[in-house]
Amino acid sequence: MSSIIASDLLKPFKLKTKQQELLIRVSILCLVYILAFITRLFSVLRYESMIHEFDPYFNYRTTLYLTQNGFYDFWNWFDSESWYPLGRIIGGTLYPGLMVTAALIYRLLHFLRFAVHIREVCVLTAPFFASNTTIVAYFFGKEIWDSGAGLVAAILIAVCPGYISRSVAGSYDNEGVAIFALLFTFYLFVKAVNTGSLAWGLASAFGYFYMVSAWGGYVFIINLIPLYVLVLLITGRYSMRLYVAYNCMYILGMLLAMQIRFVGFQHVQSGEHMAAMGVFFLMQVFYFLDWVKHMLSDTKLFQAFLKITVTFAVAVGAVALGVGMVSGYISPWTGRFYSLLDPTYAKDHIPIIASVSEHQPTAWSSFMFDFHILLFLFPAGLYFCFKRLSDATIFIVMYGLTSMYFAGVMVRLILVATPAVCLISAIAVSATVKNLAVLLRSKNKVVQTGSTKGTSSGKASSKASLDQSQPFQKNGAMALLFGAFFLLSKYATHCTWVTSEAYSSPSIVLAARGAHGNRVIFDDYREAYFWLRQNTPPDAKVMSWWDYGYQITAMGNRTVIVDNNTWNNTHIATVGRAMSSYEDEAYEIMRSLDVDYVLVVFGGVTGYSSDDINKFLWMVRIGGGVFPVIKEPDYLVNGEYRVDKGAAPKMLNCLMYKLSYYRFGELLTEYGKPPGYDRARGVEIGNKDIKLEHLEEAFTTSNWIVRIYKVKPPNNRW
Amino acid sequence: MARSLAGFLALFPFVLICGAASLFQPISDSHRSAALELFTPTHGSFKSLEETYEALRTFEVLGIEKKPDVTATACRSISETLGSLTSTPKDLFYALKANSIVKCKINEKTSEFFFFFTLQKGIFTRLNAAVNGASSLLDFYYSIGGLVLIKGQTSKADVYLTDAEGVFRSVKAFSQSDGRWRYSSNNPESSAFAAGIALETLAGIVSLASSEMDQSLIITLKNDVSKLFDSIEKYDVGALYFDDKLVDGREHQGPLSTTSSVVRGLTALAAVTAGSVNLPGDKILGLAKFFLGIGVPGDAEDFFNQIDSLACLESNRVSIPLILSLPSTELSLTKKDSLKVRVNTVLGSNAPPLTVKLVGAFSSGSKDASLVESQELKFDAETGVHILSNLPKSIDVGSYTFVFEIVLHESEHVKVYVTGSQTKVPIFVTGLIKIESAEITVLDGDLGSIETQKKLDLAGHNAVSLSANHLQKLRISFQLTTPRGRAFRPHQALLKLRHESKIEHIFLVGNSGKQFEIVLNFLGLVEKFFYLSGRYDIELTVGDAVMENSLLRAIGHIELDLPEPPEKAPRPPPQPVDPYSRYGPKAEITHIFRAPEKHPPKELSLAFLGLTILPLLGFLVGLLRLGVNLKNFPSKAIPATFAILFHVGIGAVLLLYVLFWLKLDLFQTLKLLGFLGVFLVLVGHRILSHLAATSAKVKSA
Amino acid sequence: MGRSSSTKDAQALFHSLRSAYAATPVNLKIIDLYVGFAVFTALIQVVYMAIVGSFPFNSFLSGVLSCVGTAVLAVCLRIQVNKENKEFKDLPPERAFADFVLCNLVLHLVIMNFLG
Repeated sequence: MSSIIASDLLKPFKLKTKQQELLIRVSILCLVYILAFITRLFSVLRYESMIHEFDPYFNYRTTLYLTQNGFYDFWNWFDSESWYPLGRIIGGTLYPGLMVTAALIYRLLHFLRFAVHIREVCVLTAPFFASNTTIVAYFFGKEIWDSGAGLVAAILIAVCPGYISRSVAGSYDNEGVAIFALLFTFYLFVKAVNTGSLAWGLASAFGYFYMVSAWGGYVFIINLIPLYVLVLLITGRYSMRLYVAYNCMYILGMLLAMQIRFVGFQHVQSGEHMAAMGVFFLMQVFYFLDWVKHMLSDTKLFQAFLKITVTFAVAVGAVALGVGMVSGYISPWTGRFYSLLDPTYAKDHIPIIASVSEHQPTAWSSFMFDFHILLFLFPAGLYFCFKRLSDATIFIVMYGLTSMYFAGVMVRLILVATPAVCLISAIAVSATVKNLAVLLRSKNKVVQTGSTKGTSSGKASSKASLDQSQPFQKNGAMALLFGAFFLLSKYATHCTWVTSEAYSSPSIVLAARGAHGNRVIFDDYREAYFWLRQNTPPDAKVMSWWDYGYQITAMGNRTVIVDNNTWNNTHIATVGRAMSSYEDEAYEIMRSLDVDYVLVVFGGVTGYSSDDINKFLWMVRIGGGVFPVIKEPDYLVNGEYRVDKGAAPKMLNCLMYKLSYYRFGELLTEYGKPPGYDRARGVEIGNKDIKLEHLEEAFTTSNWIVRIYKVKPPNNRW
Repeated sequence: MARSLAGFLALFPFVLICGAASLFQPISDSHRSAALELFTPTHGSFKSLEETYEALRTFEVLGIEKKPDVTATACRSISETLGSLTSTPKDLFYALKANSIVKCKINEKTSEFFFFFTLQKGIFTRLNAAVNGASSLLDFYYSIGGLVLIKGQTSKADVYLTDAEGVFRSVKAFSQSDGRWRYSSNNPESSAFAAGIALETLAGIVSLASSEMDQSLIITLKNDVSKLFDSIEKYDVGALYFDDKLVDGREHQGPLSTTSSVVRGLTALAAVTAGSVNLPGDKILGLAKFFLGIGVPGDAEDFFNQIDSLACLESNRVSIPLILSLPSTELSLTKKDSLKVRVNTVLGSNAPPLTVKLVGAFSSGSKDASLVESQELKFDAETGVHILSNLPKSIDVGSYTFVFEIVLHESEHVKVYVTGSQTKVPIFVTGLIKIESAEITVLDGDLGSIETQKKLDLAGHNAVSLSANHLQKLRISFQLTTPRGRAFRPHQALLKLRHESKIEHIFLVGNSGKQFEIVLNFLGLVEKFFYLSGRYDIELTVGDAVMENSLLRAIGHIELDLPEPPEKAPRPPPQPVDPYSRYGPKAEITHIFRAPEKHPPKELSLAFLGLTILPLLGFLVGLLRLGVNLKNFPSKAIPATFAILFHVGIGAVLLLYVLFWLKLDLFQTLKLLGFLGVFLVLVGHRILSHLAATSAKVKSA
Repeated sequence: MGRSSSTKDAQALFHSLRSAYAATPVNLKIIDLYVGFAVFTALIQVVYMAIVGSFPFNSFLSGVLSCVGTAVLAVCLRIQVNKENKEFKDLPPERAFADFVLCNLVLHLVIMNFLG
């Protein structure tokens, strides 16, 4: 869209200096930069400046620690407040890129005498990086196509909902900076391939390092780039530039990545990284052969040499891989990786991955929701790319296709696909509009300058000569241009609407429409966490489902049994087992875990549907995955999950049910319904007379969303 | 299981004693040895004079001969305190108190006698001034107490208070309507502890008064005392005590010190006033029971309070309590033990002539009529014990409550002593129980015909081995008879079968009269036995607190042949965890450290270090052979300096890396590297562009 | 028969390779020598690892990777300064050398951090 404006505006000044074009380009970029930032500020305006989801609270807490205690303390931090009684080595089990970035921005601002709170920095980090991403997208587009495509790509990515979903203000998550790092790495690598310069290779290695430090999604890069190299090799587009770019990027990037302790030796040990190493060795062999071929003029001799070398290389490679696999030196692929290749894998084998809603396969509607017209422009862009094949366009095509596949497998990976889709669509838009504009312009010129010939470029003249056979072409082009305008403006309104309605609501504060259309705010989570902070002993241990672990430690400042870092499945399963056992069995488990408080989230009063009762089946599945005493059919009636009178007896008496519905039977939630009517599930509950033996209610928030129970000390033995 | 059973048996009599009437023992030798342990001087002296006094007083009351000798050091600190002009009335008070026991021989020499005399004069005037200036109860207490002590230690009669009645009234002003006292006029809290102190002070004032006190004052004071005794508190065993409700933790006294303060005050008051203090003798007896019921306190202060109060009670003018005690409350029928009763004062000295009557005996737990007629016990003057040599025929094994009554021979003693109307004492009468005709039988199911039958000798060792199937029955029977020939019903008669897999089943053996019998019908028990066939050990428990030959005996075993479990048979429960392993100490955790990685021999590593130099040598040799030259090195001065600087810069960076490896941290290194990098970029750009220019010139030329 | 022919082939191959290599410019030969030096050092470390095990794995990795990295970077430099490569005609060898130095400095900074 902007390129149209640009070209339209350019017209009067066409004969003047190119600096004006530059000026316009820069100002458009500036506008896009600002637009990308402000479109992500809905939530700050509507609610307040706060951190949104679950994981960001952990990031916020660690950032706070980093700014307070310095880098080395952060790096060696052993956190005893989570995963009680195991604790967690924070420095060695997280991607520090986000925290370090925020801390650096914070330091910089303080150095410039801007006394902002670290929370504000954290809240605005994601929008800031989204803005930076638009700049990178511009340069990337320029590199693979032209500056017009770059401008379109910048504006498309600035408002694309797929990206906004993870980068609104307050979503202080790894993805916020990781997408920037991803795109930046790709851009630098393509640049390195195009120039064949060691310096660009080094830059892309640094980009890769930043990506590794920020997000586990770096695996995508380390697999996509070798794949790309391999494709170039196979299609015979091998070049010395590619050799220089890949080798420099790989060897330096790998070494840099190993400095992140969470990644560590995976680059040489884990199966997911072996492709890159294999391609690295392949490149050496290929280069060596190429060199020998260059040296030898005799083809026959070269054939013999080739035979010897290739057999030798393949044998050595196979033996090395085999030995590595058998000795366990190279670890096999992890479950998450398998679940990417086979979408049904997680559901059968790893319930903990499947339980997260963003790991589900993507529905068409969410593609439509997140991409809108880009979904149709994407194939068109691919067409243009294939029409003008180069190393860069091959790269973007591969990036687009693989990431689209992964986006189909997992909802959250739409995020990875977004930049590729935006870039390819931008190529489509830019190329189409340019063609149409050229068409219009040449026609105009013909009209204006009469019979003067040869003024326009060869392309335009060829078009013009083509025009003679199609008399309505000018009108057609006009209509098409307006159509493009219409579509793009639709896209812009859609993006704004989606951002405002869907992606700018923090899950920690819930909003609902009241009877008169007014906004009702449920601030129960924070109420509960502050209650914990103020009213429980500082060493109290809180058990809850793992979703709330980060928030409890960050906002309640209390030790939790499990949290959102799901590294220990057994521990989570133990909590799941406690939640799905009878109270006395659960009490034993809680005693053994030294639990002081139990926190459950309950939406029966407000109608909040993502509460613990609705998550409960996953607790049963995860608990049952480790402890076979927990069986899912015990909680179902004829394969149906219910909480009313017809529910399974085990369901009606398990701990989670008791804690959620304790004294709920006395409450009238809705006019005209019996007491104990659960508004989230729309039924009257089945067990209204709940007695607790080993726990006692400690606190329930004003809308009953969070309920906290205290675990009583054991009875005296005599 | 066996252990917990034994524990339960041991617990049983204890519970019984607590439930019924209780018995109090007067002060005995255990107190004396405890006193020597509690009051041990460190480095030949006690911490303070107060402590010295308490120790000496305790030793004196208990009549301990072998007490630690602290006289010398005590005397030194006493004379120091008395001589010092800065000592407070409290210090003086305790110094004088200690002196009243140590009786320092200060007056050996005449000069010192005079000195002491003058000293006493000085103290007297100081204390007198203190009395006049006193504003709080404790001030009065210490100064009056000091004066009383001085009066007691000198024969001179000139120690008196000039305005005794006025002082009396000002102390009396602290009293409250409920008989408690306040410490000072501006402190609203009142306590029984303060009441005791006040009584002692007032008694001192009366004794110091130069003339007869106003009798009405004394009478109101006595009324206060009886009011105070209205608030006395009671344990259910008949012990009475005073306790102050906790107002603030600072000045709170425990029941022991409170009660002992009251007792001291009361006895002091009774000693100085004419006429009796109107208190029922039972209350005094209850107080004595309270002190005796404490046993031997572990704290020196408590110990002193107990002994001092008992000493006050031993010879008070209100009424002297007499305590009835039994050397043993367990009487064995088999050994024909005789019932012995002793009557003493609280400190264990002999009572005046009296007779002890056994007025009744009740089987514990029943409210029936007395089992015995009233009879007198014979007094054995030699041992001072009242004896009933033969227990009445109606007393069999079992636990009883005996009721005794003390009758004083002389009527004036009745006024002086208090005995309590009747004393209830729990008595256990034990004996050997005869176990007869014990046998174990395996019966055939329906017919009831005897398959195998074995006699058992439950007193000795048995090892029967039986076998049965699920259609048969097991019968065990025996008879229990008391020494008096009556049926005996023990508290426990249990049969236990224990399977090889440690699963136990316990059955209660029922009785009809003497005959005890249990029949186990295995057909009905297969479910309970979880269909577990195999060897079951048989164990019989017969036990009671009064049964001298209680037994827990393995009889033998039985091989049971039970049918196969059907599909839905209940699973045997998991074995209960042994309480010891559950609550007892856990095994010590030994930390497992990561085994150190094995390192290669040093020689090998050094050899390889040498090997890595070889390629470098090869590289250098190769360079020489290729004929490397420095032709390209700029010859002009300025570019040459830049070239040298460039190489120096690279060298510096590498050196920095070595330092980084050795000691610097990342941030220091990066900072330095920043500076070096800027330098290197400038210099490098300069020299390389120069080189490029030259080569371009060469090319173009 | 086949064996003798293959050995003959190999000999012929070797000879022709040697003669072809003799024509290489001296500066490229220096780089080749440097590459060989790095590769040999890496090989010695790998042999050492095979004998005693890879216990301080980071040290082993940094040792080997520094050699491999140096070699690969040198090969890149060789490609860029080789005048026969048409792709890099417009890249002056001095610029290539500057890049090479930069990359090496970064490489060894990381190696030092990783050495432990």
